Amino acid sequence: MTRRWATGQRLVAVWLVAAIGFAVLLLMAEISRTPLDDPDQAYQRPGILDLGALPAPAPPVTADIPAPGRPAVVFFTRPGEAAALCSALAAARLDADADVVVVSPGELPGCDDVPVVTEATRQLAMSYRMREPAGGGAPVGYAVVDAVGQIRYRTLDPTATDELSEVRTILEAL
Amino acid sequence: MTDRPVTQCSSPLRLCLWCVLAVLVEIGLYFSYRGHDARFHFLTHLFVGASVAFVVMAAVAWRRRRPVPYPLVWPVAAHVVAMFPDLLFTAGTAHACWMDVFLGHVSTHFVPGRNLTWYVVFLGTLALYLATVQRATRSDWTSRTSRG
Repeated sequence: MTRRWATGQRLVAVWLVAAIGFAVLLLMAEISRTPLDDPDQAYQRPGILDLGALPAPAPPVTADIPAPGRPAVVFFTRPGEAAALCSALAAARLDADADVVVVSPGELPGCDDVPVVTEATRQLAMSYRMREPAGGGAPVGYAVVDAVGQIRYRTLDPTATDELSEVRTILEAL
Repeated sequence: MTDRPVTQCSSPLRLCLWCVLAVLVEIGLYFSYRGHDARFHFLTHLFVGASVAFVVMAAVAWRRRRPVPYPLVWPVAAHVVAMFPDLLFTAGTAHACWMDVFLGHVSTHFVPGRNLTWYVVFLGTLALYLATVQRATRSDWTSRTSRG
């Protein structure tokens, strides 16, 4: 009887340690979320084409982007994030595989060879149905458009600057 | 200083080694995810993989009437299976619906309640395994005392 009780106590202790330990991990994941992240993390960097309502027709960003027969990547950023994005884009040379454009709600000093569209109303972000960040305001992320003008992928991604290889992976999957 | 039998030293050491190995593998898997937002994806696959492992472990323990050997290794192995498409993604292969064969790799992210739901499932299946172990141990104890 004593042994059974001791075994039961030990097993309950194992369960409690797991419950508390993994609750702490869950809490840490919640706390580490930034105002630029998606309020629903399932939709942030899902890595899969045609999620949810996609594909959907891509509205024009400039006169020639998106262009028929060529994929496009539309980056949505904010003035404070733009410098890092532009220098990462210059290094990654995504424009060899797709047309690249940067959309910002505020003026940018330039972005090397990448065209920049400034729009304070965030109309483009809304027409691309970019999700609203947890902290509100303009989205920071990107949308990928295929060669027939359909949006195939979109995500908020405040760390896109460090993960442009993921954009290339999505482009290759088109 | 008395000479202790080798088996008394080596048994806890062996236990410790595979525990440490399992924990190290999990830490390695955690750091294989880039970006703070990837913790969400890591936890989904950890909870799903471990939950499947606990169900299998409970079935095996029930059948063998004793706890499974190396109990930490099973959930870690199932976690690797569940997150395997993320390793493919890192290597340049985007996700696709067929990757749900890896313990629902894509669709498990979208269950209502998200990771909180999988946390509850994880704790439920862990409780199932532990209850099975206790029952198996009790049966073993009962049969031995009735024989004695």
